[in-house]
Amino acid sequence: MVESIIETNGLTRSYGDICALKPLDLQVPEGEWLSVMGHSGSGKSTLMNLVGGLDRPTAGSLRVGGEDLLALSEDGLARFRREFVGIIFQQHHMVPYLTAVENVMLAQYFHSVPDEAEARSALERVGLGHRLKNRPGELSGGEQQRVCIARAIINSPKLLLGDEPTGNLDHKSTVMVMELLKELRAEERFTVIMVTHNQDVAAWGDRTIYLDDGVLVREERMKS
Amino acid sequence: MVAVKLIPHILSWAGIVLVLLRGFPGRRSVVTLTSISGFVIGVVGTFTLFRSFPGTVVFGIVTSALGVVFLLIWGISVASIYRSTGRGVTFLWVERLVNTSLCAGMVAAIAGVVAGAVGICRLPVTDKTVLGLSLLVPASGAVAYAVAYATLAIEKRLPKSFAVSPYGMPTAVAALLLFSSSSILRLDLFSPLSMKVMKFAHDFVHQFMESMLIPDHVFIQSYLWRYIGLLFGKEIGFWGGLFIWFTPALLVLLAGQFERLPPVAHIRQGAQRRKILAAAIRERRFRLVIPLISLLFFVAAAYQSRFPSVEYWDPKPIVVTATSSGEIIIPKKGEVDLEDGKLHKFLFNRGGKDARFFVLMGPAGQLTVDLDACAICKPDGYGQADGTVICYYCKTLIPLETVGKPGGCNPVPITFAEKDDGVHIDALTLINEWGNTVQSTSKIKEGGK
Amino acid sequence: MNMNRRRWLIHLVLRALAHRKGRTLLLLAVLAMASSLATALGIVSSSMEKRVAEEVRKYGANLIVIPESARLDIGSGGLNFGVVSEPAYLQQRPVEEALAKSGLKAEVSFHLRGALHMKDADIMVEGVNFSDIRRLFPWWQLKGNWPAAGETVVGNDLASRMKLKAGDVVELVGINSKILLRISGIVSSGGEEDDLLFMALPELQQALGLGGRLTLVRLMVTAGGSSLKTCASSLQMLMPTAKVSEVRQTARTSEGLLAKVKLLMLMVTAVVLVSAGSSVAGTMSTTVLERGKEIGLMKAMGGTRREVILIFCGEAVMLGVLGGVAGYLFGSVIAQFITKTVFASSAEFIPWIAVISMGVSLFLALLGSIGPMISVFKLDPVRSLRGE
Repeated sequence: MVESIIETNGLTRSYGDICALKPLDLQVPEGEWLSVMGHSGSGKSTLMNLVGGLDRPTAGSLRVGGEDLLALSEDGLARFRREFVGIIFQQHHMVPYLTAVENVMLAQYFHSVPDEAEARSALERVGLGHRLKNRPGELSGGEQQRVCIARAIINSPKLLLGDEPTGNLDHKSTVMVMELLKELRAEERFTVIMVTHNQDVAAWGDRTIYLDDGVLVREERMKS
Repeated sequence: MVAVKLIPHILSWAGIVLVLLRGFPGRRSVVTLTSISGFVIGVVGTFTLFRSFPGTVVFGIVTSALGVVFLLIWGISVASIYRSTGRGVTFLWVERLVNTSLCAGMVAAIAGVVAGAVGICRLPVTDKTVLGLSLLVPASGAVAYAVAYATLAIEKRLPKSFAVSPYGMPTAVAALLLFSSSSILRLDLFSPLSMKVMKFAHDFVHQFMESMLIPDHVFIQSYLWRYIGLLFGKEIGFWGGLFIWFTPALLVLLAGQFERLPPVAHIRQGAQRRKILAAAIRERRFRLVIPLISLLFFVAAAYQSRFPSVEYWDPKPIVVTATSSGEIIIPKKGEVDLEDGKLHKFLFNRGGKDARFFVLMGPAGQLTVDLDACAICKPDGYGQADGTVICYYCKTLIPLETVGKPGGCNPVPITFAEKDDGVHIDALTLINEWGNTVQSTSKIKEGGK
Repeated sequence: MNMNRRRWLIHLVLRALAHRKGRTLLLLAVLAMASSLATALGIVSSSMEKRVAEEVRKYGANLIVIPESARLDIGSGGLNFGVVSEPAYLQQRPVEEALAKSGLKAEVSFHLRGALHMKDADIMVEGVNFSDIRRLFPWWQLKGNWPAAGETVVGNDLASRMKLKAGDVVELVGINSKILLRISGIVSSGGEEDDLLFMALPELQQALGLGGRLTLVRLMVTAGGSSLKTCASSLQMLMPTAKVSEVRQTARTSEGLLAKVKLLMLMVTAVVLVSAGSSVAGTMSTTVLERGKEIGLMKAMGGTRREVILIFCGEAVMLGVLGGVAGYLFGSVIAQFITKTVFASSAEFIPWIAVISMGVSLFLALLGSIGPMISVFKLDPVRSLRGE
């Protein structure tokens, strides 16, 4: 029996009167690749922010990696994020004035101490050994996303969150990024939760859940 | 009133106990017990000494103990810097010794004894009876017990990250002891230290430079003297003293900064490796806290010593004149009572030259007449406080017992005759003696001729 | 292996500043301007105060004694050529006695001025004791040597008018006798001295037949404790036939001018400080607003609020330090300019003023960042990353 890395119970998040996430019970076993699908506004990003410690639920319980996120202080959440979670965004979000390697080192800095050699080898691992000193503006979308992947996994997180990481990429780059993720997951054995509205991307996962209007409507297990 | 005076000493002792408790983790009971008993022994022992010996001797003993403590941390700091530079020298037996409860007990006991001795020096020891002694034992015991247990309670609440390294601990203990003693004029170490440095520079220049190295040449002299003059000022004593004073704490700080980080090359996962490094760096930084605080206490001690909060008895000089036979006669019970044990200053003027001198009855009941100047300092004069006179220029304390004896920074004694109608001093001798003394001391200090 | 967090932080700050070159330069300029004005104010006031004090000392023959009946021109004192009809003189002996009796600590210089004939022209001659002159008027510039016995020094203007140079021998004709004097040097003081010929006081007294007479006594009283005025009045009591007056005019003018310049600079500095502070605050908050996503990203990556603020504070401190350095350099130039144009002298080099300029610049930079820092603290990573 594999232990659950994420356990939610009646997890709710509402903004005023609007309820973005209706009470949700979800278990994610360690090592699973979970795809979350739904339209925009279906609450899938909210779920991801909650699980990643970026946001706090209004009700319910949320345990990630044995840690009760509701009990953590603001600084405790920051520590949780840097040690436990790696996040990849749709718009990449790189610091524009830092080179690729420096963007990776920034994550190291917040985690512990920057280590350039390690950051370099992480970028080489995602196939960007030749673009270490380039700024985000000089990189293509796919390359930027690969930098973000290197940055997300540099601190060996247990949990990798992807918020439509391939939303801005063409088909070829999408496949490349997804394959890279799969490869890395095989080595590092982190759990993946990926929000997407692309059926093909969702199909890379072990399991897909469908959210609609903040409610889990359907669950589907992939056969591989 | 007495209790208020004791507060800084008790707080220093509490600090010492706190540092010891953290410095010897896991040896709480040993440290507490030995430091309490050490404190009581220090108090009672010093009190007994005061009963059987003159004050000078006792203060001498306590000051020497403080001096030894200071020398010890000098040694320890040098060892710390030597080790941190990564020389492969590890005295295994020393390390093993440090970790025994015997060592913890010894250090705590020594610290307690010295702290207690310093504390009792603060009290005016007037009641030298056995009754006083029998009261003192329970009183000091109670104070020590209360303070130690309060400190113990505080220590348990302090965060874990507040760690005391084996080098930081003695530094902090010494800093607190010296801070505690610096408020007592006669136990002060810093001023004698700077005085010693000054005297050393003095002697050095006299012995070597003046006789051998400086050719007696007009051109060279004028500008060379300016630099040599620097060696004669009190500044050299002050700065040299400061250097010696702060070096141990600074060395320990530096050693902390140089300390090696744990080996991490064998850890495969980068994040793990970096986390260990970051934690080690953080810890290393925390270990700097204690030496830094010690440094502050050293600063405070030097400051207290430099600007003591003691009121000096320093009367305005009374102008005296000589009789036709060239004698200055000061009646014993005239305008002032010469035999009241206080410093009495007089001013004599002849031919536009002033000479300041004072008359003082020593503790042995012996009158003495001295210039208000010494043979090595600028003639800034003396003030009286607490069984001593102090030279305002170099802040050296001269015990009343030795006033009237020549040498060092002692006031220059003047021959005089004690007769029924008062003290007779030869005016010419006085003026000449003053002229010689002041001329030789201020010549160089003004930067040459 | 680059494992130093502090070095990384500095690197990060420099990168961020370099990225927004225009804005960084603007902020630097503002900070440098504010701190340079403060620097200039500090340098001008402190070096000019010293200069004014020196000037007081200079003209500080601060008391003069003249005969009662003579008309007085402050600073010049003495006879006008042509009005010699009924000249008044001081008696040297009573003056000396009065000075000794007054017990004042003063440098004294005796002057006797009169006309002697030289090459069919009358020239003004002043008899002085050269040793006193050297003590009281240290700013006299002498080309050549101070005179020995039988020698003289000639004022600059007089020398060029009469075509005299050092080494020449002049023949002067007095009432009783002829005197031959060798010129040992040419003196220039920038004052009326440039038009005079100086010779030893007793010689002139003899030449004019005015033994023991003086026209002017200059005193430099080191007024410890008691004011100059009381010194003057006490001296006046002892010399009823003379007139004792203070010479402070020159110094007063400089003091007044300095006060005005200081006030002006103070006002300008205050205005500049306020406007600089607000412009720093404005620029900083725009920057922080623009960098919302970056801040959100840093927080999402696991930076605590303190760590993120530290980065932005680092930028402010870096700007402050650079602005302070630039301000100090620029301010020294301004101070030099002001002292050159207004006081006609050069400013000193005062290193400790750098502390002030650094302080002003840092204070402004950090003060301007308080508001932006609060918004950095409050910023919600989720919303900022979504682009709200």
